[in-house]
Amino acid sequence: MLNAAHHRLPVEKHELQSVFALLLALGFLAVYARFRTVALGIFVLPVAFLLGVLSAFRPGLSLQQSLPLSTGWIFLHVVLIFAAYAALVVSLLASLLYLVQERRLKSKAPSLTWLPPLETADQIALKSLLFGLPCMTGGLFIGSWIAQQTIGARYFLDPKILLAFAMWFAYCLMIFIRRHSGLRGRRAIYLSSFVFLVVLGVWAANQFSAVHRFTTP
Amino acid sequence: MTKTPEATNQTADQENSRTPQSSSATGNTASESNPSTGARTLVLLGLNHNTAPVEIRERLSVPAARLADATRSLLHQPGIREGLILSTCNRIEILTTQECLDSLNSQDSQSSPNSEAAPSATAPGLARFLEEYFSIPAATLAPHLYEFRERDAIRHLFRVACSLDSMVVGEPQILGQVKESYSVAREVGAVSTTLEGLLQRAFTVAKRVRSETEIGSASVSIASVAVDLARKIFGSLHGKTVLLVGAGEMSELAARHLIQHGAASLLVTNRTQSRAEKLAAELRGPNRTTAVIPFDDLYAQADRADIVITSTGAPQKIFGRSHGQHLLQRRRNRPMFFIDIAVPRDVDPRMNEVEGCFVYDIDDLQQVAQANQANRSREAAQAEAIVRKEVDKYQQRLSARDSVPAILALQQSAEAIREAELARAAKRLGPLTPAQQAAVEALTRSLTAKLLHPQLVALRRGNSESNPE
Repeated sequence: MLNAAHHRLPVEKHELQSVFALLLALGFLAVYARFRTVALGIFVLPVAFLLGVLSAFRPGLSLQQSLPLSTGWIFLHVVLIFAAYAALVVSLLASLLYLVQERRLKSKAPSLTWLPPLETADQIALKSLLFGLPCMTGGLFIGSWIAQQTIGARYFLDPKILLAFAMWFAYCLMIFIRRHSGLRGRRAIYLSSFVFLVVLGVWAANQFSAVHRFTTP
Repeated sequence: MTKTPEATNQTADQENSRTPQSSSATGNTASESNPSTGARTLVLLGLNHNTAPVEIRERLSVPAARLADATRSLLHQPGIREGLILSTCNRIEILTTQECLDSLNSQDSQSSPNSEAAPSATAPGLARFLEEYFSIPAATLAPHLYEFRERDAIRHLFRVACSLDSMVVGEPQILGQVKESYSVAREVGAVSTTLEGLLQRAFTVAKRVRSETEIGSASVSIASVAVDLARKIFGSLHGKTVLLVGAGEMSELAARHLIQHGAASLLVTNRTQSRAEKLAAELRGPNRTTAVIPFDDLYAQADRADIVITSTGAPQKIFGRSHGQHLLQRRRNRPMFFIDIAVPRDVDPRMNEVEGCFVYDIDDLQQVAQANQANRSREAAQAEAIVRKEVDKYQQRLSARDSVPAILALQQSAEAIREAELARAAKRLGPLTPAQQAAVEALTRSLTAKLLHPQLVALRRGNSESNPE
């Protein structure tokens, strides 16, 4: 896809979707390797497949402006940020599975064999977030450094950038609350959902950003 | 052989629960009409929890250390070609391939013209072997024995391996026990082609039943249901702490189950301290720690436990909803599982509303066990269908194998005739070009094949039809 678009960086919307799909699938594989549960795959893999397929049918667009500096740093910035997004999605799904399993156990309903145990779901949710934090921090740091080099200090006032830092702050807060109060179940889902909304906001903020647009509309 | 009990709970047996010796007649019919085994007959003789009380079963038990010796003794019986002994707490069964009546009689008449004819088709008398080996009178043993032959024996073996004939349908130990018997029989040279193929097939069928049905997936006893639920909450029980409040028999059984599945630490508390100390000492083991908590310290220390089993005789609730909230707070929301076996109950059911607290009383556990039992019964019906199909397939395979010599003979005879006729015609035809030679070859081959086709089909069909259900 990147070859067809004559560039090596995933900057166009559909290319980013593909990268995200790939990272989601990798996230599932990592969870499976660590926790031996396929429950997440029931939800993650169809989403990853759809994202990949939809992207594959869209043509690549040419870059509006030439990208500054080494494309390697930008590539790392994109991958790290999207790895953090994927970790958040995996965490949110694991929290949802926790909630379903908890409800079934509380109501004494017949068990669903594919659901992971509560502790496993909780561990997946927490470990995913812990994995996502350094990814997001690294991604934002690299992005800031590139912007500083190319645009200068005004990049910090861009809505996309402001939202991105708000997202990082929310992400850190979520991990802090989860770790220090042992937050689980319904409240953990509310928290994850809030941060997920922030992430969606950051994603959508590309439309309003003056410094974070690389493709023709 | 491991003497692990196949099961501990009685369940209604399946459709074909036998009356002693009842299947001999059908077995004989199958044997007579089944040419697939040639001069050998497959015979299975035994008794199980449905046909014999424990007083009889315990007298027929073969310890693991003596299994090889017993199998060798079986193999020394006249007419026995292959043999396997399956001995568990709930059954003893002898699976053999034997010389058929006709061939055995002819041997007998050659060796001893005055000897009497064998009393039944199983001339060596497996029942006699059991009587002699275990020194049990025939009159005591006979009413409890069942005998299966050929197709019935195959079906029974498949059902046993699939745990459809077990006391608790779906329990997993029996397949391991069959494999162990097979391993011993192989070591002493008591298994060759027939039993080898049959047993391998039985293992495959058992595996198929396990993978295609959920016959063994759900627990059916209170203690194992408790373990299952604990696993759904905590995943692995390794490193988990169990608190026993009260020292009843049921709670002790549940605690033992949890320990068997990895619980590392056990706390015991009881109003009578000495009773708690005694129980803690009984449950102490090399890889686990046990400790006694004074009953007055219960609320202060209960948060150390992941799983709490209560079985006191207290008339009022010991744990209320507020206790659950406090305990969870102290555990920083790590979940707690309360198994309340006491009647009247020790744990307020409203504690189940506290996030992170899971409360199951005796009725809840029983309901889960009953639902699992019903599920197992449904799965057992599906497993029976798989066994029926597999028995058919196995018999068809045997039939196909047995028709091969006849088919080969027919084809060889036809080929010989074709070649002879071709040679005779060649003299009259004179020299042929290579192309003409090839055309004549092709023509005669095609004619032979077409003429033979209906006969070969009839032969194959005849073989499979001679082995009806």
